[in-house]
Amino acid sequence: MTTTAPTLAIPGQLLGPATRYQPGPGTHLHEAQLYSSLLGQVHTTAAARAPGPVKRLTKITPAPVPAELPTISVMPSSSAMASGGFQGDEGEGRSGGAKKREVLPEVGNVVLARVVRITPRQAVVVICVCGDTVLEAEWQGVIRVQDVRATEKDRVKVYESFRPGDIVRAEVISLGDQANYYLSTARNELGVVSAMSEAGNTMTPVSWKEFRDPETGVTELRKVAKPQ
Amino acid sequence: MDRRRINGPAGATQPPVFDDVVSQGAKTVSGRSRMPDASRKMYLKTGVTPSASGSAYLEMETSAKPGASGLKLSCSVHGPRALPRSAPFSPHIVLSTHIKYAPFATKQRRGYLRDPSERDLGIHLEAALRGAIIADRWPKSGVDIIISIVEGDQDRETSKSQGEEAWDMMNALAGCITVAAAALADAGIDCVDTVAGGVAALVQDGGADSTPTIVVDPIPSDHAKILAACCIAYLPTRDEVTNLWFRGDLPASDMDLYTHLVEKGILASRNANCVLTNCLMETIE
Repeated sequence: MTTTAPTLAIPGQLLGPATRYQPGPGTHLHEAQLYSSLLGQVHTTAAARAPGPVKRLTKITPAPVPAELPTISVMPSSSAMASGGFQGDEGEGRSGGAKKREVLPEVGNVVLARVVRITPRQAVVVICVCGDTVLEAEWQGVIRVQDVRATEKDRVKVYESFRPGDIVRAEVISLGDQANYYLSTARNELGVVSAMSEAGNTMTPVSWKEFRDPETGVTELRKVAKPQ
Repeated sequence: MDRRRINGPAGATQPPVFDDVVSQGAKTVSGRSRMPDASRKMYLKTGVTPSASGSAYLEMETSAKPGASGLKLSCSVHGPRALPRSAPFSPHIVLSTHIKYAPFATKQRRGYLRDPSERDLGIHLEAALRGAIIADRWPKSGVDIIISIVEGDQDRETSKSQGEEAWDMMNALAGCITVAAAALADAGIDCVDTVAGGVAALVQDGGADSTPTIVVDPIPSDHAKILAACCIAYLPTRDEVTNLWFRGDLPASDMDLYTHLVEKGILASRNANCVLTNCLMETIE
């Protein structure tokens, strides 16, 4: 069993047994064997080192399965060439190239979205960036009033949190219904990252719930993302 | 009938065909020049349409006769993209397939709108591809597969009554399946395997009482009579058939004939798959 995985793969090509690799993006498992499901280059990434002692002392968690197997994945070659050497290293979900391969927002991804309209119950946004990838298509999302922040949820008012035109950093919490992804900003580092004042100037954040217009000095209420 | 465009004449418009040595004899059947298990040569290339997410072009060798055209297919894949707002929630990718003969692709001029036989081809193609795509990798999205048949693999010299449309459509469908698989791989849509199409036919070359033989990748004008044919979409690694289209009558005497015909159809799709595999390997190298 010294055979190595091929460097290039076409859909349906055998990559190796499931006892030697963990399936990564672009692969699928069939009868304990790993096959490629995409056309492109095969990447094998060594397993992350086993995490240290589990920190959560209040909760008994089962010992994590030692992830010793390397992860095998298939990256579309067209995207690797088109986006100038962008390959491997998937941070958020399944990241492909920016040029050709479209990615979808997945649950748990952090996305950048633009607010298009607000109602008392929700803010409708358009997802523009998913992880590090600019999306080709515009996917619609919704931030419901109960998902705006983690505390004092009953006092949240959507118009004191978002305004149309704001750029929001949010997390995908559900694929949602037919049209909308459901997003949440209920974390310190999530919320409005860029906002324009009523006078039309770009504002700077001054507190966790206020933006100030540097020219007129007027402050406006927002759910401000903690600057990173 | 499409009222918004200038339509060609509705009836058959055939360019003049001048008498040559071949057509002077009364309905000469040229006969098959290949071995029974040999497919025609095929040319396949991916990435021909820059604006599409994935695309492919397939050309099938013409028969040696003058005046007969080969098969030329162009396929483009658009997506995955957001479903229209009116569509219900789908946890899978939604496939939609469109196959259209170009108006000049066949002897009988085609309209600009898809007719029922073209819709039928699209349904067969969708069934063939659905078994190959890993649909739940792309929730809430749709993909459009659009194939235009530029040249329809028909012999201009055969009369309309002799050449039956269905056999030509089977050859076209087999090509459509292969070209769509190449375009899907080019678009980066997850598939369990490369699906390819193949046709096998039961032909009777020598008179009504001769024993019929099974050939792979038949050209209808090469044979005196085609009794039955089947078009198969096949996944070679999985050893699975995703679509089977059978047409014709088999002699009731031989019960194994159907199985043999399907086996030969699988052989034909294996032949096509070799071309597909080589083409895809060339693409990424």
